[in-house]
Amino acid sequence: MEKFMLLVREDLKKLKEYTDADRDLGVKEMMEWVDGLGANFVGGEPLWPDGRYVTKDAIVSDGPFIEGKEGISGYIMIHAENLEQAAAIAQSCPILQRGELEMEVRPLMITDFPNG
Amino acid sequence: MGELHHKTQQEIDHLYKQHFGKMVAFLLRFSKDIDLDTAEDLVQDAFAAAISHWEKQWPDNPAAWIYSVCKNKALNKLRDDKKMLRLHQAPEPEADAISYAGDFPDDEQLRLLFACAHPDLAPKVQVVITLKYVVNLKVAAIAGSLGMTIDGVDKLLLRARQRIKEEKILLVTPAPEAMQQRLPIVHKIIYLIFNEGHTSAEGKVLLREDLCEEALILTKAILDSQMGNIDTCALYALMLFNAARFKARFDENGELLDLEQQDRALWNPDLIRLGTHYFNLAKGPELSSYHFEAYIAYLHSTAASFADTNWQLIAQLYTHLLPNPFAELNYAIALYYAGERNSAFEKLFALQRSAFMNSYYLLNATLGKLYMLEGDHAQAAVYYSKTLDQTRSAAETNYIRKMLSKLNL
Repeated sequence: MEKFMLLVREDLKKLKEYTDADRDLGVKEMMEWVDGLGANFVGGEPLWPDGRYVTKDAIVSDGPFIEGKEGISGYIMIHAENLEQAAAIAQSCPILQRGELEMEVRPLMITDFPNG
Repeated sequence: MGELHHKTQQEIDHLYKQHFGKMVAFLLRFSKDIDLDTAEDLVQDAFAAAISHWEKQWPDNPAAWIYSVCKNKALNKLRDDKKMLRLHQAPEPEADAISYAGDFPDDEQLRLLFACAHPDLAPKVQVVITLKYVVNLKVAAIAGSLGMTIDGVDKLLLRARQRIKEEKILLVTPAPEAMQQRLPIVHKIIYLIFNEGHTSAEGKVLLREDLCEEALILTKAILDSQMGNIDTCALYALMLFNAARFKARFDENGELLDLEQQDRALWNPDLIRLGTHYFNLAKGPELSSYHFEAYIAYLHSTAASFADTNWQLIAQLYTHLLPNPFAELNYAIALYYAGERNSAFEKLFALQRSAFMNSYYLLNATLGKLYMLEGDHAQAAVYYSKTLDQTRSAAETNYIRKMLSKLNL
């Protein structure tokens, strides 16, 4: 089994307009989905759409990613047999199926990287 | 006539249950010009034809009758498609490659099981196609037992279909080395099938127990065929320990009971003994997650009472199943009963910080229960109430309402 990160991308502008109830509903739907993944699910966290974009010269508040149609709105870590299976798992997300978000599936390079 | 019709229908259902996947695979192998959709249609047609024919005359060998009708329908179809020339190049199926009555599951079913364990398919898809082609459930039954809608299963199968065709999943027998490599995936599929039957309390309970039984039958078949290893033994033991406790999970009103309330006299001692036997056979140098889960289930199954359970060892065993937030939750519960209450709450609060887990009813139900045990009924009520819109299962909702009514507020 290998480890993969699913980078969740969606319209951050739309996400900013969500009410708490909208967000709860989305998180709950995601929860039901990852629950169904069983031991393939390792962990994950959603991200607020607000942030700072930092470069060598300056800190640009609200970065360009805020306007982006496909900003990163969260990540999910999974175990899968291979990249194909990881992609197949990502594809089974019901919110993705409705076209409301997209996922980038990336294999982890070093799985025993120290992370506290 | 009515009784005859009933008997015919029963026989047909029985044959479907044993042969559907094998018949589809048989037609795919019969000619390369038959695709998956056609093969499934032809098999369905043959079963439909059986209903009208058998009322008039009962065949000597019902399974052979359907196989030969399938074959004839396939020949007609190919003739219509003017592909007879190519058919002549296709090898005739060997008669003894098909077992008409045979034991369930036979070698062909095991072959299909390993074929469904294709490493490029998502686990859920592997489970669904295994239920369709190996366990031979109809779409409605698959939907019912997995808690999915019929539409959802159809869509999933539709998407999987392309893959099944491309990879010739039902057609090609994986090489022996590939079979060995796929054994862990096969274990996983069986484990998921069993869990679907075991953990979820919604829907028809009987149907779900059937799933557990199918998982046990498939595992036993792997062990009997000598294709299994110590992980297979551990998985089998784990499922037997859980199956032993089935009858005690609900009270006489069909309400869900937690482990502490269950009447241990209802646990099946034969299944626990059998589970212990396979758990001993599972010994080896490299242990899988099934080993740790089986060990935990063994400790629960053989404890004299809830209080007498070796919670310390159980907590330690859970650390081998991390990182996984669901295992982390059980780890915290075991820590609590092992007397390490502070670290248990710490673990649960850490899980709460994950937005995903925070909307998971079991996390909040656990916090409710532990606060109740700590005597903080107000906090318990807060957490129990939170779960009410987090579960869709009637049995779970009833359980929570029962717990809420026990609180002194």
